Amino acid sequence: MDLSVIAFWSFSTLAVLSAIGVVFFKNIIYSVLSLISTLIMVSGLFFTLGAELVGALQILIYAVAIVVFYVLVISTVPEYKGKAIDPKYMLLSLPVGFLLFLELAYVSVYGAWASNTGIFKPEVLNEIGNVKAVSTILFTKFLFPFEVASLILLVAMIGAIILGRKEQVMDEEEVK
Amino acid sequence: MVPYEYYVVLSALLMVLGLVGVIIRKNIIAMLISTELMLNAVNIAFVAFDFKLQEVAGQVFVFFILTIAAAEAAVGLGLIMAIYRMKKDVSVEKLTELKF
Repeated sequence: MDLSVIAFWSFSTLAVLSAIGVVFFKNIIYSVLSLISTLIMVSGLFFTLGAELVGALQILIYAVAIVVFYVLVISTVPEYKGKAIDPKYMLLSLPVGFLLFLELAYVSVYGAWASNTGIFKPEVLNEIGNVKAVSTILFTKFLFPFEVASLILLVAMIGAIILGRKEQVMDEEEVK
Repeated sequence: MVPYEYYVVLSALLMVLGLVGVIIRKNIIAMLISTELMLNAVNIAFVAFDFKLQEVAGQVFVFFILTIAAAEAAVGLGLIMAIYRMKKDVSVEKLTELKF
């Protein structure tokens, strides 16, 4: 058995199990820990596909930065007391979701996809490396979306600061 | 080597799990976490099709999705903090009014 096959099956099994944990754990802290596990396993899947840059960014941005956001907010909001899962939606959504998955899997396996027309053949990628290939395309063909992404991050930062201000608390003090 | 279709099927499974999570969870933070699962499923599909088509443009798009996910988490969690400060609740059943 090839090593990449073993890597794919172990990473994908653990990713799916952790994703089920994310959806069905009652305690939100367990959900976030399962999310970290899922993200790291998805990063491993990227490595098995030869996408080293994206796999490293997945760990650096997702599994570290974004999850820390969630942990900070969960530590601020007190423990959620109500029922975690709505049973009447679960009865409907699980069969519908399963059917949707069957359809997507059928299309994925038996669908007629476009043939490979790209310029990054395995020999080329072996020579220049994945990081150089991705960054070359990023800074030539997708330079304008790259700049727009920085603008989106700036807007999101300003929006998060404005939303997170403690204006309401100051108003209450003024009333007193 | 594993055929790339398996990666696409795995991506479909994670997408459906994220969708089910958005539908059945009652805590609004858990719904945002399920959204992250769906974004990851899209990332897997992008990288798998890159592998098939021998391109790298999909990995560039994964980079953009990571950026958007960071912005989404920042703004979404800021909104949740603001909602919690006003309503003292994060259950979606209590958050049924547009105007506070």
